[in-house]
Amino acid sequence: MTVHSRPQVSWVVIAIHELRGLWLSAKGLTVLLGYTLLLSIMAFVAASEAQLNLLDARESVGIVVQMAIGLGTLAALVVSADAISGERERDTLEALLVTPVSRRALVIGKMAGASSMWMAGIVVALPYVVAMARGPGVAADALFVLVVAGSLVGISLTAVGMAISAVAMSNRVSLAAGVGLLLVFAAPSQLPAVTANGVLGSFLIAANPVSAGLKLAGLVLIDQESLASQWTLLISPVVAAVVLTYVAIRLSSRVRLGGAR
Amino acid sequence: MSGNRPAVLCEGLSVKYGSVTAVDRVTFDVQPGEVFGLLGPNGAGKTSVVRALTTILDPSAGRAEVAGIPLDRPGALRAQIGVLPESNGYPGAETALDYLRFYGQLFGMPAAESAERGESLLRLFGLGANTNQLISTYSRGMRQRLGIARALVNEPQVLFLDEPTLGLDPAGREDVLSHLTSAVATNGAGVVLCSHLLDDVERVCDRVAILDRGRVVALGTVSDVIETAGIGGRMRIAVVPDRAGQALGQLLKMPQVVRAESSLSRPGEIDIDLVEREPHANQILSLLVGAGIEVRGVELQGARLSEAFLTLTNRDVER
Repeated sequence: MTVHSRPQVSWVVIAIHELRGLWLSAKGLTVLLGYTLLLSIMAFVAASEAQLNLLDARESVGIVVQMAIGLGTLAALVVSADAISGERERDTLEALLVTPVSRRALVIGKMAGASSMWMAGIVVALPYVVAMARGPGVAADALFVLVVAGSLVGISLTAVGMAISAVAMSNRVSLAAGVGLLLVFAAPSQLPAVTANGVLGSFLIAANPVSAGLKLAGLVLIDQESLASQWTLLISPVVAAVVLTYVAIRLSSRVRLGGAR
Repeated sequence: MSGNRPAVLCEGLSVKYGSVTAVDRVTFDVQPGEVFGLLGPNGAGKTSVVRALTTILDPSAGRAEVAGIPLDRPGALRAQIGVLPESNGYPGAETALDYLRFYGQLFGMPAAESAERGESLLRLFGLGANTNQLISTYSRGMRQRLGIARALVNEPQVLFLDEPTLGLDPAGREDVLSHLTSAVATNGAGVVLCSHLLDDVERVCDRVAILDRGRVVALGTVSDVIETAGIGGRMRIAVVPDRAGQALGQLLKMPQVVRAESSLSRPGEIDIDLVEREPHANQILSLLVGAGIEVRGVELQGARLSEAFLTLTNRDVER
């Protein structure tokens, strides 16, 4: 037999399987619980300080949006970094590789499944952001930055995790490399103000999707810049989302068992 | 699959890991409905052969076809095969039915058809009562049966099983082998079976190849392989205890006898290793009767595959 009348799109089958694996097991819920707890603490602290006039209300919204983006992308990275190296480590990869599904479909399906972690992060963050942004009247801008800039950064980091996972021989290596890269991405946003406002500092921040997304949140929500004037900060997240996703898919041809050389 | 086309055709296949040659010009074929044993000590290259034939590894030389499809069409080839890898992990948080349904879908089956197929395979492998049980609760034997069921989910034309009975107790091995042979008989797939358990191989395989250091050192039916190894037969005779010494003396003079020893625990019994099994056994009996020694009992034993395996692989080591 083996020829079936209604072939299904294999990456969709894999994506659905990944979603089930992620959300019907403890894995996704545990990561989301950690994300929610940290975001709750940060939102509570920021809102309390705004109430006590220790912090501007807009600034508290900016901090929460930046935290949501940072933590959400970290969660997405952790999940995607496990996607293939985890299969390799659990000895379940070979059975997948001997099905007719192409490695490209395998990576796309897994990436789609892992992306759900960032989407869940947005859903969790939305009520916090909406509630806190209503006072200073920046709800629309906050939602735009969270959903658009955050999603672009989330997609980029999911792709980074997937690319590393495709070639890393162990989960430990994959996770360490992923988190290390996230720190490198986030580093420019920690530059001292003088450096950050210089030519090189500004370039580093704008060229880096993570720091550009965080900077956009800061400028629009805290410094009251308009979105229209700062749209260029979305260029690197858009480019990174497209290029890194492409790279991850291209690297699918490198998905092998540990013994392959 | 056409009746004339081999299930597996492997010609001069080589696999290298860097500068190390794991598989060296291996040639064999497997016919549809045949169970073919691929044997060899650890590191002999069995798993590499299977991985090359299942398109997991790229061979460095040679050619092969599986179900009539060359290795350079991996997608089409993989649609026709079922594989139980040597180290096969299972998602413990899934039920057996979900697991099989997923794999059925990966082979292009609609979800409903895939679930039906999964249920019927689980019943076939004696797991019908455990379909909705989490795999983490399965015993090792149940997991092996589940793995074979998964390998059969697409009704493959060729089945590759790498150590399917490894780590199972005798009852579990028996269970897996009987399910395997009945499943093969049902769909007529060609089977490549890698195993260290030579009793299992002897029981179910039509032909075998013994690999050593990446090369085929023997190929054929179990009897052919034993013959290739140059192992003769073994016999035990019982004579009147008083005449055992005389019989032993006569036997040790015969060129057909490799070794002859009196049993210490059973007076009158002599164990004899022969150069060749049947003709030499007859000659021995004639000699003893001719010498007036009464033979009270004869037990003729064939050489085992395990002995041939050890001889062939040791011989290669000594080279």
